[in-house]
Amino acid sequence: MEVEIRNRPSFANLLVNMQAGERIIAEADAMASMSSTIEMSTRWNGGVFSAIARRYLGSESMFVNEFTTASAGHIVLTQPFPGDMACVELQGNTIFLQPGAFIACETGIHLGLGWAGWKSYIAGEGLFRLKLSGRGRVWFGAYGAIFTREIQNEYIVDTGHLVAYEPTIGISIGLAGGIFSSFFGGEGLVTRVRGPGKIYMQSRSFDGLAAWTNSYLY
Amino acid sequence: MISPHDQTFTGGVFHESIPNGRVGAHIRVSRGEIVAEPMYNDTDSNGGTLSFAIPIREVQLDMGGASGKMIFCRTQDKSLTIFCEERGFAQALEHESAGILGDRLKSLRGSLRKDNRRFMFWVGVSFLACLVFCVVGYYSLLASARVAVHALPTNVDEQIGKAAIQQMILNRLPRDHQASELVQKIVERLKPHAKYPEMDFQIYVVPNSEVNAFALPGGQMVVYTGLIENAESPEQIAGVIAHEMSHATLRHGLQQISQSLGIVAAVQLLIGDVGGLLAFGTQLAQQSVMTSYSRTAETEADLEGARMLYAAKLNPKAMADFFAKLKHEHGDIPGAISWLSTHPQHEDRIDAINRFSESLAPVDFVPIDVDFNAIKKSVK
Repeated sequence: MEVEIRNRPSFANLLVNMQAGERIIAEADAMASMSSTIEMSTRWNGGVFSAIARRYLGSESMFVNEFTTASAGHIVLTQPFPGDMACVELQGNTIFLQPGAFIACETGIHLGLGWAGWKSYIAGEGLFRLKLSGRGRVWFGAYGAIFTREIQNEYIVDTGHLVAYEPTIGISIGLAGGIFSSFFGGEGLVTRVRGPGKIYMQSRSFDGLAAWTNSYLY
Repeated sequence: MISPHDQTFTGGVFHESIPNGRVGAHIRVSRGEIVAEPMYNDTDSNGGTLSFAIPIREVQLDMGGASGKMIFCRTQDKSLTIFCEERGFAQALEHESAGILGDRLKSLRGSLRKDNRRFMFWVGVSFLACLVFCVVGYYSLLASARVAVHALPTNVDEQIGKAAIQQMILNRLPRDHQASELVQKIVERLKPHAKYPEMDFQIYVVPNSEVNAFALPGGQMVVYTGLIENAESPEQIAGVIAHEMSHATLRHGLQQISQSLGIVAAVQLLIGDVGGLLAFGTQLAQQSVMTSYSRTAETEADLEGARMLYAAKLNPKAMADFFAKLKHEHGDIPGAISWLSTHPQHEDRIDAINRFSESLAPVDFVPIDVDFNAIKKSVK
């Protein structure tokens, strides 16, 4: 299965070329177009309860679609907001995604929902996070461009910019500077990440978009 | 290679020889070594079974990760890291190292607990700060809503009052009825002394034996014939009307709305959106919620009413007398309860009105010149 991320970074979408018997799992509503030879089946995103949990706690759909083909064909998968997409290949390791980031994965991947904790909540990453483990490729999207960094020691990310990280990454909340500069410098709280591991960041944040939009509403 | 009594844990390895630098692995602690075998060996280009090992004597331990409980085992040169967060892994390390790693693990756990306690402390402090901010904010918004009510033009009150009175089904006495003329006369006399003399005061007499009177915002007032029947003098009626006019001029109705709507109204008042307020006020007025005010509002209306009476050369004591009469006789007067129930603590109020009256410089009061007995008869 060949997968190409096209039109990067602003309006990235996945072009998935499938051969007979290959399968891909995609977030409900991610499909933008596909060959007529592709068959789609919908199933609960995990069990019924975990699907409901993922819907309400992980901002993902209750259902996922599985695409397969008996001959060959292609699918275009997309995400609702403008931004880049990235691919991670898992080899028995795990990756956490911020709620709403998941787009597609291969069938060897297990989709789960994990408690992320209050620190993550304060960091603007939600109380829960999607936990993907197993073997295969995972595609996820972000708002804005995606940049990655391999962390050995400590690194600082502004709240709302962290899209994905490995479980080896520790997260704590800190002030950007002193009390005054933190709140009046516009940075407020920041997320301190501690390695080892890799983090994926987005160059825009939804909070920033919301604040910017709000400034025009009143 | 794994002997059956060895415990195997699930974790991972970081090493530069692995494609992407990391892989999920099965980990075991045995024979003085921490050994990690990648879950998917076919990624190894050499074809052989790949495994990574760190001798326990040389291992450097650290704790962290997303859960805070992941144990990292590193070689001295940090080129190889084996990590695992399964519960039994620390015990296995402790056991296998024969106590060498015990102290290190204990201190790592201690600092984890310390970090957690510090985090919870700050969460608690922030929560309290938010709570204080919300409570203080709520009350200061309410207070500013009270101020904002007075900043709003009085035609807001008038719109609410008129809309509400139109929707109340009231069987009013005609304008040229003797009783209507009396109350009209009283309003005309008090009006120049009101806080907002330009307010459009409208008073209606409704045939009903209950002793009742109420004011809607903007000067719309209703007096029941029961009140006229039970009054001993036109001045007593003037006392009640002055009290009700004061509710309107002190804008208690709007304050009531802003309090019933709470924070929403407060914010709306502050940003000047009165559309929702009008709709809600009309609804409230219909439910007669607005005709019962707080104790502070009642006392305020008493004193403002007494001031108006005095300014109009009417004896404010008449107001207190009427309250006293109602209090004294309310067992005998059917329906007297209805006005009393919305006007509680009358003893204190009677005292307050009397004290106020006595503090005033004596003037020659000008009585209301009507044939009161004829009017009383006409409403029976």
